Amino acid sequence: MPKNEMPSGALVLLILRVLRSGPLHGYAIAQRIHSLSSEVLRVEEGVLYPALQRILLKGWVSSEWGISETNRKVRFYRLTPAGRKQLDAELSGYDRVHQAIQSILKTA
Amino acid sequence: MHELFRRLRYLLSRGRRDRELANDMEFHREMAAREGTRDPGNTLRLREEAREAWGWMWLERFGQDLRYAGRMLRKSPGFTLAAVLMLAIGIGVNVAAFGFFNFVLWRPVPVRDPGSLLRLERRSPDRFWSDMPYAEMAFFRDQSRTLSALLAQKEARLFVEGESKPARANFVTANFMSELGAHPVWGRVLDPGRDNAAGAEPVAVLSYGFWERHFGADPSVVGKTIRLNDKPVTVAGVVSREFSGLRMSEPDVWIALRQQPYFVAGSELLRNFAGDAGDSDRDGVNVWARLRPGFGPKAAEDELRLLARELRAQYPLAIWKNESIATTPGGFASIHGTERGSGTPKNKQAEVYRIVGLVGALTLLILAAACGNLGGLLLARGVTRQREISIRVSVGAGKGRLARQLFTESILLALLGSAAGLALGSALLRALVVFTDSPAWVSAAPDWRVICFAVGLGFLAAVLFGLTPALQGARQRHRGTIMRQFLIGAQVAASCVLLIVAGLLVRALNHALDSNPGFDVQHVISIDPGLDGHGYSPAAARAYLQTFQARLRGLPGVESVALASIAPLGHKTTSTGTEIGGRGIEIQVNHVDPAFFQTMRIPLLRGRNLQPGDTHAVVISQSLARLWPTGDPLGRPLTLDTNYTVVGVAGSARLTALQDPDSVEAYFLSSEPDLPSTTLVVKTAGLPESLVPLAASIAKDVDPKVFPEIQMLKTSFRLKLRDTEHSALAVSLLGATALLLACLGIVGLVAYAVSQRTKEIGIRVALGARSTHVLSIVLRQFFWPVAAGLVGGMAGGAALSQILRRDLYGISFLDPLTYAAAIGIFAVTVALAALAPARRALRVDPMLALRYE
Repeated sequence: MPKNEMPSGALVLLILRVLRSGPLHGYAIAQRIHSLSSEVLRVEEGVLYPALQRILLKGWVSSEWGISETNRKVRFYRLTPAGRKQLDAELSGYDRVHQAIQSILKTA
Repeated sequence: MHELFRRLRYLLSRGRRDRELANDMEFHREMAAREGTRDPGNTLRLREEAREAWGWMWLERFGQDLRYAGRMLRKSPGFTLAAVLMLAIGIGVNVAAFGFFNFVLWRPVPVRDPGSLLRLERRSPDRFWSDMPYAEMAFFRDQSRTLSALLAQKEARLFVEGESKPARANFVTANFMSELGAHPVWGRVLDPGRDNAAGAEPVAVLSYGFWERHFGADPSVVGKTIRLNDKPVTVAGVVSREFSGLRMSEPDVWIALRQQPYFVAGSELLRNFAGDAGDSDRDGVNVWARLRPGFGPKAAEDELRLLARELRAQYPLAIWKNESIATTPGGFASIHGTERGSGTPKNKQAEVYRIVGLVGALTLLILAAACGNLGGLLLARGVTRQREISIRVSVGAGKGRLARQLFTESILLALLGSAAGLALGSALLRALVVFTDSPAWVSAAPDWRVICFAVGLGFLAAVLFGLTPALQGARQRHRGTIMRQFLIGAQVAASCVLLIVAGLLVRALNHALDSNPGFDVQHVISIDPGLDGHGYSPAAARAYLQTFQARLRGLPGVESVALASIAPLGHKTTSTGTEIGGRGIEIQVNHVDPAFFQTMRIPLLRGRNLQPGDTHAVVISQSLARLWPTGDPLGRPLTLDTNYTVVGVAGSARLTALQDPDSVEAYFLSSEPDLPSTTLVVKTAGLPESLVPLAASIAKDVDPKVFPEIQMLKTSFRLKLRDTEHSALAVSLLGATALLLACLGIVGLVAYAVSQRTKEIGIRVALGARSTHVLSIVLRQFFWPVAAGLVGGMAGGAALSQILRRDLYGISFLDPLTYAAAIGIFAVTVALAALAPARRALRVDPMLALRYE
């Protein structure tokens, strides 16, 4: 999927959402989004890492060293309390917009 | 807030963060490879994109550009040196000028709390004095609640035994030195507790400079007795080098004002108002005040106006109707002397800013010339770098990135230029400080203002010379000749303006030196006994002057002796404003005796001389007669304070305003009340040098208490011309620098033009083109920009030199000779300079040229 089809705001939301269930490394975040979207959404490296850097700067996630399933040292990203708050806010905002768009698409 | 903080942390630890990011992405690719997905692309570039989120990319790129620029400049040291040198000249001259004005205008004098000091001057709707009677100052001191202290100063010359040059003395109120925080190096400074008491012993505090010059910095002089004006006085101490009071010039000795009558016999400076007849010639003191905390200058002015009204109720003759006291910030060194007059005073601030504006314009022109020059060089260099730029474009450099990188080179050059300019400017300033004999606290070391100014000027210069070459370089458009032509034109114009102004000043100086100022400068001396300062009555003054005149006439070689209220070329002037034919003019007034015109060799052109008993007659100068609206001024009334009748017209003689072509003079018969403030002028047949000591010894015989100031007019004349001499020298140097820069620039550009068209010229030569034709091909492109620059330069020169109009000794600011000479010098010099590289075009070998490239 070409990267410009997913607005970066949505990507941030998805990243925060998949991190809610626990810390993940970068590749796992991409994989999780890919599989959870029934392989519709593919997050490319060139989009994922800039987005992660922005989220790190915002303080919504923190990073820590861990060991991957392939036994390699890698950074895991964990949702911070601030990130959780941001996720809730974005979710409720997204729901409202989504419902509004849906209702237009159905009735118009 | 937190985000900014985090960003900064990322900046500081960006090496580690980058490694972490690299590790993440490497791992990502490993995993992707295991699952067999396609190659994600250039990892370095992806990583850079991710890093961009930190927000420090611009800084990293700037660092990269800077390093690259440094390498590029190191690679062509010749170009770098030339560019930095040009910028150093352009910026250095400005830094020196700014540094000087920074000191004179914006830096308070080094005294305690200069911010709360005010300078007080008398004003009324129709007259102004920059000084005030001592008694008025004392009244304000005793009554004011907005001012915590009043400081007064009276300057005088006192004769030191065994010295021909008098010492400059500042008589100051006893609180002056302690209030301003002066501290002694040896002994003590003036002390209000001791030196203000009645019957206090007369003491002098030496200035540091005088102590060094006159006493060889010998500390044992403290406590010794010296003689000033033949009066013994004890040296109480030596004040530190930094303290020079509130004036731009440092005095030699400081003495309590209370002691002034002791040194100046008969002085009535400190007299109170009781029994005062009027104040027209009353001596005064310069006054400063310190504001009490919590009050502003406005409150002080309001209070002083009320106090002046109160004082006028007691002494209606001494205090003016509707008198007010004007306050100005007092913590800055004042340059101007004592000024009194009718009407409103000249705006000193405007006068100062006129000079600042002129100097600033001239020095900025040098910078403009340097920038125009450098811009042309960079444009030409852009062509030689074409190959490098195209390689960079083909490996994927964007236009914006390229322009930024090229501009960074200019910024680096400008910063180097600023640093070099700062050094050059400080050196120039140091020379200026020594040259102008400034007080010791005026140091040439740049302060933060000067440094900011130099760096700011560097950035401005970078924009001026570097922006268009950078944009053109990045766009790979080098045929943009319009820009190059504009740069040539601007540079030519700037150089021309400087040459024109320099030419005008040189012409004015030569004119002043060669031409007759309207009176005899070579054979006349002036003697100013300053009798009013010694409390002489008009009758006593008459006796003194008569004796003196008789003794002088008895000297061999003396041709005539006359009286004048204003010494020619002296430091005192009296002017009065009036209207003639609806036009406001300022007349230089002098009260003289009938022998004056003959003594000064001023011709009487029409009418008659003043005669004894002429109370309402006036002789006017030719320059004033010319202003007369209708016909002949002879026999017509001239209305000043009363009505006068014009009885004669004398030759124009700018006795006081030497450099001002608009100055007009009027002469009245000297009357009895004028005598105490009258000076003598003496004309000799031979050289006046021998007359000076003779006059001094006569003065000692006539009254040993009086020490007249004796001046040869030719000395005063040279002194008056010195300012013009200095400015002519300075501007000529600037003009020569601009000319040199222009020559270098044109040589470079012509050489470049020749190298660009070697092939074309080769073909033309092979086909038999004449050498003149070849030259015209090369030089044609420079004709229009240079011509446009010359026209622009003339216009700019005319606009700028209008400011100088009153300083040109009668030379018109549109003087055609100067303009022609400036343009001629410029055109010839530049043409000769351009010819050298252009001739290379003639020697082009057709075969070689065709094989070129």
